[in-house]
Amino acid sequence: MPGLNLEQIKKSIIDSQIWRSMFRGGVWKDNPRDRAAHIIGNIWLHLHPVKVRKRAIEWTYTWGLGGISFMLFLILTVTGVLLMFYYRPTIDLAYQDMKDLEFAVTLGKLMRNAHRWAAQAMVVFVILHMVRVFVTGAYKKPREFNWGIGVLLLTFTLFLSFTGYLLPWDQLAIWAVTVGTNMAGATPFLGNEGPFGSLMGMRINNDVRFTLLGGTTVGENTLLRFYVLHCVAVPLLVGILLIVHFWRIRKDSFSAAPRDPNEEKVEVWPNLIVREYIAAAGTVLVILLWSWLVNAPLEVVANPNVTPNPSKAPWYFVGLQELLVYFDPWIAGVLIPNIIIVGLMAIPYLDQSPGGTGYYSFKERPFANTLFLLGIALWFILIAIGYYCRGPNYQWYWPWESWLVEKAPPAPTWSLPLWAGTLLILAYFGIGLVAPKLIQREIEWKRAFIWCGAGITLLSLGCVFLGGVAWGRLPWLYFFGFAYFLFGFLMPQRHIRNLSWTRYIVTMSLVLMMMGVLLKMGLRLGFDIKYIFTLPQFSLNI
Amino acid sequence: MPETIAPAGLTRRNFLWLGWSALVGFLTSGAAAAARFFFPNVIYEPSQKFNAGPAQDYPMGVSTKWLNEQRVWIIRTEKGFYTVWARCTHLGCTPNWFADQNRFRCPCHGSNFSSDGDVIAGPAPKPLYRCAVEIASTGDLIIDKAVIEGRSGFRDKTPFFANFKATV
Repeated sequence: MPGLNLEQIKKSIIDSQIWRSMFRGGVWKDNPRDRAAHIIGNIWLHLHPVKVRKRAIEWTYTWGLGGISFMLFLILTVTGVLLMFYYRPTIDLAYQDMKDLEFAVTLGKLMRNAHRWAAQAMVVFVILHMVRVFVTGAYKKPREFNWGIGVLLLTFTLFLSFTGYLLPWDQLAIWAVTVGTNMAGATPFLGNEGPFGSLMGMRINNDVRFTLLGGTTVGENTLLRFYVLHCVAVPLLVGILLIVHFWRIRKDSFSAAPRDPNEEKVEVWPNLIVREYIAAAGTVLVILLWSWLVNAPLEVVANPNVTPNPSKAPWYFVGLQELLVYFDPWIAGVLIPNIIIVGLMAIPYLDQSPGGTGYYSFKERPFANTLFLLGIALWFILIAIGYYCRGPNYQWYWPWESWLVEKAPPAPTWSLPLWAGTLLILAYFGIGLVAPKLIQREIEWKRAFIWCGAGITLLSLGCVFLGGVAWGRLPWLYFFGFAYFLFGFLMPQRHIRNLSWTRYIVTMSLVLMMMGVLLKMGLRLGFDIKYIFTLPQFSLNI
Repeated sequence: MPETIAPAGLTRRNFLWLGWSALVGFLTSGAAAAARFFFPNVIYEPSQKFNAGPAQDYPMGVSTKWLNEQRVWIIRTEKGFYTVWARCTHLGCTPNWFADQNRFRCPCHGSNFSSDGDVIAGPAPKPLYRCAVEIASTGDLIIDKAVIEGRSGFRDKTPFFANFKATV
């Protein structure tokens, strides 16, 4: 075809007034000026700097985790908006609409699958992103505030998941939200079942749970409230926080703090932008494949009177569900999550050591990295216990045990008398808090473990001969005893005893509380102790 | 004459104080009003009182007849009736009745209760609640889930226990 000159057509399109009005900048010559102008002159790209330190965009430094989290948020926005076209948030219609989406709407099943799997992937990637930022010490000055924003974003990611899973109106939905909102009902002062709730005049129809539900039980109003929270209110809030998060990243020249002031910089176009596109495309591809292969679960329609047996939260909340087994609802459901969130946000203000900022280093950050990863590991151990080791009636079944075999019901639990509990708690926090700082000499590992082993053995023998504890339970004592000794005493003694008193006390309290959760689990699972310390009048049951 | 135009006492400093206070007051009351907005004044929920049928039809022991519809167990003893509200005092799931173990067991966090509703094991902080129960002149059990009691001593008396002797 002699008349068709592709180059000519392309040139005339690009040179046309319409094209030039949309894409400015003249002929692309691929010189530094063009590459800079492409970033500055493009609304979508201009949040980037023109140049960025080479180390900050290495795959093996960021792993693209933050970018992938954001891409998942975008996928969730698009699939979520599409789902809204076919979903009506009323208890008569919601479940039916889910079934329609699955069986009657073209691509409805794929969109729902993608929404569900992207949501779960987002939880994973936001957590991984946090771990990456932590182990590279990237939360330190001047990035403390942005770490806090990140913690809030993680919280809201989980809250979005929580509000989202009521919407299908199946059994998982109603019971997860029943349990979740009853935790709110156990809030001190503000909940009708919480400590001091009745003192504040809280009743079932005027407390904080009532506002969440829009009623006294999970019903029509609850579904509507959660729908609005999930689709409008929380995404808006997350969007605002994301803007601040990204802005700060840009202002702080990305995460990898310079190791020397004249570090090599590369152009953002194409170096960073290409990586972003690859990560985004990969994310979409994986989510689509996954959604094509695996269907999102949907249980039977919600029944507000009968709970499935066992009833389990979605995996990312099973850890919290497992925690609720060991403590009073307001402690496990309100206090501990709040301490975790505030504790995470406090980390940059507690850890002021300059070393190990902007690169992976366990040698320079032995205490911070070990304890943080231990916390993350504990959370996932709780999840694993709840997910794999709990069977009918939420009883302990090992993963290889059949749920069809009925087990003997759990032994009756008992609590320590008040005086003993008070002494134990005071000793744990009193001695545990002060001792590591007062021992100024560095303790030798080998000798420490010999002493610790001897101590636990003595305690074990005491338990067996004086307390009538069965021999078979002693491994529990050894495991939890050594765990506490290593992470709750030896490591702090070795690494943070030279902190200022304020920082030391706050850090050590967080460490002791974390180890305390582990110890309490051991006491319940191994020795049937319901509460160490109990004041039922104030629901102060630990 | 300027002195007569500006009222005495309202200096620039005081005016700013007044302005900022008014703004803070407005924002605070606005926040309070917004919070109040989230408390519905009218809620449309089913009545908590229901008729559980003729008392004499119930066998001795724990009946799960109304669990699915009304979320209560009706328990008949030698002396009469009491009803246990099937809402776990831990976080509000519905436990299941295991007659062979003589226990209510909750599927959410593993709380165990006796047929009296007392906690045997698991995290539940309080005994299960009992609902008000009375025997109407027709011989029907009338149960009111809006009136509940968990404390032993109180829960064994009227209106949480209805005396009933079988008429042979």
